[in-house]
Amino acid sequence: MAQLQEYKCPCCGGAIAFDSSIQKMKCPYCDTEFEMEALAGYDRELKNEQPDQMDWEVSAAPEWQAGETEGLRTYLCKSCGGEIIGDENTAATSCPYCGNPVVMMGQFAGALRPDYVIPFKLDKKAAKDALNRHYKNKPFLPKVFKNQNHIDEIKGVYVPFWLFDAKAEAKLRYRATRVRRWSDSNYHYTQTSYYAVMRAGSIGFERVPVDGSSQMPDDLMESIEPFDFSEAVDFQTAYLAGYLADKYDVDAQQSIERANERVKKSTQDSFRETVQGYVTVLPESTNVQLHNGKAHYALYPVWILNTTWKGTKYTFAMNGQTGKLVGDLPVDNGAFAGWLFGLWGIISAAAFGISYLMWLL
Amino acid sequence: MKKRISVLLFMLLCCLSFPMVVFADGENTARLVDKAGLLTSSEESRVLALLNEISDRQRLDVVVVTADTLDGKTPRAYADDFYDENGYGFGTGRDGVLLLVSMEDRDWWISTSGYGITVFTDAGMDYLSDQFLPALGEGSYEEAFTCFARLCDQFITQARTDAPYDIGALPKMPFQAGVNLGGSLLAGLFAAGIITLAMRCSMKSVRSQPAAAAYVKRGSMHVTESRDLFLYSHIDRKVRQKESSASHGGSRTHTSSSGRTHGGRGGKF
Repeated sequence: MAQLQEYKCPCCGGAIAFDSSIQKMKCPYCDTEFEMEALAGYDRELKNEQPDQMDWEVSAAPEWQAGETEGLRTYLCKSCGGEIIGDENTAATSCPYCGNPVVMMGQFAGALRPDYVIPFKLDKKAAKDALNRHYKNKPFLPKVFKNQNHIDEIKGVYVPFWLFDAKAEAKLRYRATRVRRWSDSNYHYTQTSYYAVMRAGSIGFERVPVDGSSQMPDDLMESIEPFDFSEAVDFQTAYLAGYLADKYDVDAQQSIERANERVKKSTQDSFRETVQGYVTVLPESTNVQLHNGKAHYALYPVWILNTTWKGTKYTFAMNGQTGKLVGDLPVDNGAFAGWLFGLWGIISAAAFGISYLMWLL
Repeated sequence: MKKRISVLLFMLLCCLSFPMVVFADGENTARLVDKAGLLTSSEESRVLALLNEISDRQRLDVVVVTADTLDGKTPRAYADDFYDENGYGFGTGRDGVLLLVSMEDRDWWISTSGYGITVFTDAGMDYLSDQFLPALGEGSYEEAFTCFARLCDQFITQARTDAPYDIGALPKMPFQAGVNLGGSLLAGLFAAGIITLAMRCSMKSVRSQPAAAAYVKRGSMHVTESRDLFLYSHIDRKVRQKESSASHGGSRTHTSSSGRTHGGRGGKF
């Protein structure tokens, strides 16, 4: 059963949210700050009260047509009574009527409870600044795109990630060559020596992340890696207040393939680096056995910025912890041609000048 | 009537026996002998006038000979013998230079004698031939011979006033604006293309991460087996290019069949 959780300020009753700059809960109305540890206890207390607060609407209004509500869930805001509609994965959002941050507790019940969360360290303003920096020094960026710069939407999302530990046992064989050159008075000699190079060993990986949300493009999420796991804390729903959150909809079994692909590639790279002192090294046989450990479920902070330009949607993602922002930008073909021909002219003129100078000397 | 016929016959004989020989002023041998008939008569007179003017002014014979056949001789022997037998050359050293062009196997040879050996070093002749060979190859014979004559003039002046053209002291090739411009445009397009494409690539920042190097557990890598087995080797051998003697500068000489010393250079065109 899902139900909503709002964090109310014990002082004034206002809705409180997580403040990334002080890493505490803060009441926007009376400026009272709360330690996360204190709220952990508060959280447990609230859980005990849960059976009394079952105001969850099971069925939708009769106007909904059959099938239309599939994948949708409705909740009632406890502050204003407004109806909050989320999809089946929405785990934290804000009430569209009163703006109070809400957390859907049912999305974290039982096996769905994340093990860790990395709290947001950067706020909305930092995300906007990062996007402006991203636009800088991009001569091919259409001027209009840069100047209009209206962002449709900025949202702080806790993205569900699966973290995989893995131990890789590798056995590899390479064909390598060494080349030696020398000369006597009559001939130049080149000696090519062929070697069979064998390497075996093990290497460990921890917390290789795989995006567990089908809504987030995997390449976008991989582009803003790495997250610093040393700053992760045990999961508390209070961290989600004020942000959006999804629960995973791609399970660990489906995600492990991607993690293993990357682990295998890294294992090969690491052992390849131990083969030194050769001119060419070609892998002849590669055998990597993976022993996966336990998969952990974690929520990582990501700022998502959306903008639309000429009917195309551009999505930017910023690592909410490190500030790394990625996102493909449109290319102004006129500017591209201008630069190409301009540089062509300048470089050609310079080369011609240099060739003339060399002739003069 | 008989007399007139015999006079005509005599004139015809004269023409047949010395078909293309044009005598130089004050000399008994012409400085242009077009046995292969490569030049029209007007071209011939222009080239000859130039050769005479240069030879007399520089006191060094500049001679051009064309031939249909070398009579079984090498181009070198033919050119040397032609020079010696026809008494070319100024002064006791018999100073002069002769360009032989043979249409038999499209050979050319420059033979030098006396002070000419000093004037035309091996490197100098290589440079000289590079200048007139393109025109020779295209069949622009007047242009080739004029080019040869003017360069000889330049070479002789250089040798008399300073030191002969040699390695490290060759006349400057004319600046080839067209070739340089073409090369510059190509290089410019290549460089500009690489730069702009790299800039274009920087517009795209969303990429999958192929590896997981950031998540390797510190100190978790253990290499349990590390063997490098030598299998076999083979040796390639290339003959070393001998440094050409031209790099020493100066002129190499040889002795012709008449016992005289000549320098020279030649090839095909």
